[in-house]
Amino acid sequence: MNLKEKILADPEGKSLVNCFSCGMCTGGCPVARISDYNPRRIIHKVMLNMEPEDIWLCANCYTCEERCPTKTNVADLINLIRRITIKKDGMPEFIKPLVENLKTTGYTVQIGELENKRRERMNLPAVETTDEIKKIIQKTTLK
Amino acid sequence: MKKYAYYLGCTIPFRESNYDLSTRKVMDNLDVELVDLEGAGCCGLYYEQINELTHLAMSARVISMAESLGLDLMVLCNGCNGSLVKARNKLVENSELRDKVNEILADIDREFRGTSEIKHVIRILYEDIGIDEIKKTVKNPLNVKVAAHYGCHLLKPSEQIKFDDPREPKSLDELIEVTGAKSVDYFDKNLCCGGFVLGADKDIAYNMTGQKLQNVKDVGADLMITACPFCHVMYDANQRAIENELQKKFGIPVLHYPQLLGLAMGFNARDLALEQNRVRVNPGIFDS
Ligand code: SF4
Ligand code: SF4
Repeated sequence: MNLKEKILADPEGKSLVNCFSCGMCTGGCPVARISDYNPRRIIHKVMLNMEPEDIWLCANCYTCEERCPTKTNVADLINLIRRITIKKDGMPEFIKPLVENLKTTGYTVQIGELENKRRERMNLPAVETTDEIKKIIQKTTLK
Repeated sequence: MKKYAYYLGCTIPFRESNYDLSTRKVMDNLDVELVDLEGAGCCGLYYEQINELTHLAMSARVISMAESLGLDLMVLCNGCNGSLVKARNKLVENSELRDKVNEILADIDREFRGTSEIKHVIRILYEDIGIDEIKKTVKNPLNVKVAAHYGCHLLKPSEQIKFDDPREPKSLDELIEVTGAKSVDYFDKNLCCGGFVLGADKDIAYNMTGQKLQNVKDVGADLMITACPFCHVMYDANQRAIENELQKKFGIPVLHYPQLLGLAMGFNARDLALEQNRVRVNPGIFDS
């Protein structure tokens, strides 16, 4: 299956066909305003069976979904495109450390002694690590 | 007495404990009890882009902790809010997905049932407690000009979150004004902080953050108020780096909303850990 077919096969991807390329999403997109990024083009390229570009530049602000006249879930579609892309090509470098931290601590960050010492001084409860997240990740990413 | 399961997520305990501290102070003063969730871990936000089932299971796990206490879940982070609300809606609507997720949670002796609601602290203050009740606790009305920053996932996607009006929100503005402060209008008030693209493209992220800091500066606001720890990292902790990057000077103090409310309630700067805010806050500006 190509990207378009994979999107349409996913319950999250159904709204792809709503888009009529009006550009309202790009018109309100804060990233498009300052770069070549273009959400309308991402959707359009998928429809044309072409490889969309810049899929990691979306700030996930959902302005596009609020503006879209056809209820195309642009931001959610971009998240879906990211998931499909990761499945095919693996994770981009900047996400890897987050995932490693999740597996070792249960949080996207490392727990340093510094933080818990500061929290103790502030009379706040210490942050406890958990291995439950690791179990969830292992169980849900098994092939 | 109102009571909530209290969820911090990842950013707050590591970088923004002043948000945690000030929230506890104001909630206590409003007679709201908070129950800590031990080893609560991450809500799964990043997995929305990696693996849907992992995201849903991670969110469901956090929600199940509140459910086993029979309490609604208070969240302080917009990211957690969006991630948890979206996951909860999906799991409530789709029993097939729910069974799949519960099969995973069974391994860690947890179950998602859909009995607890997810509520951002701003929503709890605005809807569950209400402006009138908050007004009664204001002992020290503040005399400052404030720029409100709602952030994104407190309001959007509105079909899922169903709180306030994403185009012309007023909850945070009203919560600011009840402290005596003036909530000023400014250009592009709904602009996103850019935090979510920081990993993929720092220039774009800093540019977005910097645009808003400039707009806030242009209207002469004394400070900016956020409702999300990650927006706060962008505007406060990263402000110096953004100034260097963009060759501009902003010098805008950024407070977590409960810090502002706490000051109006009569707590001192130390009670609210104002010294941990990176851009210096001169406590003198709050004197009326
Ligand atoms: S996604 Fe919506 S707003 Fe964007 S081009 Fe398509 S129809 Fe227009
Ligand atoms: S969610 Fe992404 S594509 Fe949509 S407006 Fe925001 S940055 Fe642009």
